[in-house]
Amino acid sequence: MSESLLTLNNLDIGYDGHAVMSGITLSVARSSFTAILGTNGSGKSTLLKTLLGIQPPVGGEMRFAGEPVFGYVPQSVELDTLYPLTGFDVALMGVYGRIRAGQLLPRHEQDFVHECLKATAADGFARKKFSQLSGGQKQRVLIARALAAKPDVLVLDEPTAGVDAAATHALLEFISQIHRERRLTILLVTHDLPLVRRHAQQVIWLHEGKVLHGPVSELLTPERMAEIFEIEI
Amino acid sequence: METFREILSPDFLLRNSVYTSVLVGFICPLVGVYLVLRRLVFMGVALPQISSTGVAVALSLPMWFGVNLSEHGEHSEHLLAFVGSTVFSLIAILVLALMERRGRGLPEGRLGTAYVVSAALSILLLSKNRFGEAGWLDLLKGEIITISNFDLELTGIALALVLAVLGIFHKELLLVSFDRALAVTLRKKVVFWDAVMYLLIGFTVSIAVLSVGPLIAFGFLLIPVLTVRLFARNMRQFTIVSSIVGGVASFVGFWIAYQWDWPVGPTDVVLLGVIFAVVWTGHGIVRTFKKQQTREAS
Repeated sequence: MSESLLTLNNLDIGYDGHAVMSGITLSVARSSFTAILGTNGSGKSTLLKTLLGIQPPVGGEMRFAGEPVFGYVPQSVELDTLYPLTGFDVALMGVYGRIRAGQLLPRHEQDFVHECLKATAADGFARKKFSQLSGGQKQRVLIARALAAKPDVLVLDEPTAGVDAAATHALLEFISQIHRERRLTILLVTHDLPLVRRHAQQVIWLHEGKVLHGPVSELLTPERMAEIFEIEI
Repeated sequence: METFREILSPDFLLRNSVYTSVLVGFICPLVGVYLVLRRLVFMGVALPQISSTGVAVALSLPMWFGVNLSEHGEHSEHLLAFVGSTVFSLIAILVLALMERRGRGLPEGRLGTAYVVSAALSILLLSKNRFGEAGWLDLLKGEIITISNFDLELTGIALALVLAVLGIFHKELLLVSFDRALAVTLRKKVVFWDAVMYLLIGFTVSIAVLSVGPLIAFGFLLIPVLTVRLFARNMRQFTIVSSIVGGVASFVGFWIAYQWDWPVGPTDVVLLGVIFAVVWTGHGIVRTFKKQQTREAS
């Protein structure tokens, strides 16, 4: 069994002190690829925000092994298109965590961002305005930004929302590749079951206030899913 | 050209007014960029007005308490107005920002009410103030005439401070404005940087209102920024060109006003409006032309 990177013990998540989901107990192994599944409003984003520290937990315990660096890939629609930022400007923000307030950006950090953009095949459009890029191009820039943070954990919130099928396939192949090559821990929020079957190892499934956690091979079998949804097959 | 040379002359009687309005013209858009990007345009309208109410309240205090300001030094009136303007701006921006973050109610309604009530209140207070009526009512209308060396120095120092903070911490201010979630995951002190941003906005507004009045302050906070947003390709271009448009427009506005004996404030703001209209029209034509070219090419 791999070392546990994240342990949740009886965790309650929600807003303004009101829990939307209670008693979450699970652990995420280091270097694992975990998909977070659930219908709209099931609490996927709330769970993600709690793990990232954006939203404080309502109760319970959340423990990390050490102080992992997160590379966060939000949904691109969450970012305001009013800002006249290029793809490079957006990717550059990934290194801000290592730069002291008021310090000028060192040349080597800028070069590193170029490398990250190359790695995600986003260097060709990095000088264009971020707001004018397609859904798939924006996601590539945001993944480059997350990689620029030199993360231990890559957290992706529905990275394929609004992205066409071909680009979705390419994106997930790329995420799987960096997972294998860099031994990154991946937390991926998605609705897409075929993608989860193909790429993820573990699943956290939020369903009607309950949390199911286990390997893909056990949780996503037709029998188990029929049981979860209480339907006959 | 004769007027132009006269304005630039070191002996020009109104040189402090020129310098002050140009300083305000350069600095206000740098702060206005964040007001526009954070979609707080209405706050940019209400804040200068609330700040001027602070001036009115501060100048009414001696009258209410029976104190004669002229007995307390040459600059006491200006310092009192500065304190009133700053305190009202900062309280207003912190309260309005807090309500904005809680996301309850109707923000436009709150800002509209704050604007109209504060505008009425400041006129009411100053019209009943036998000490400050003439000069300060002129300021509220945007007449930049009597600016002493002390006023100019105070404005210059304050705006240099704003410029320094904006320049040194632009990374942090941009990050928390554009993507708060990322800022949190990178362990940045989001609340602290938000507070710095709001303090900068409040401080700049209060200085600008005190120097040139709420009308011009509002004009320079927003119109250059909205103009340059139409064509800016990156943040650096956006901020620098906005600042240049503001500074140049304030100088040209002063020149036009002096040449034709118009009030400076309204002239500046109308000039900014004309620049916006020209750029907006030009931008529309260029966009239509480019679309047509793309259609033909495909």
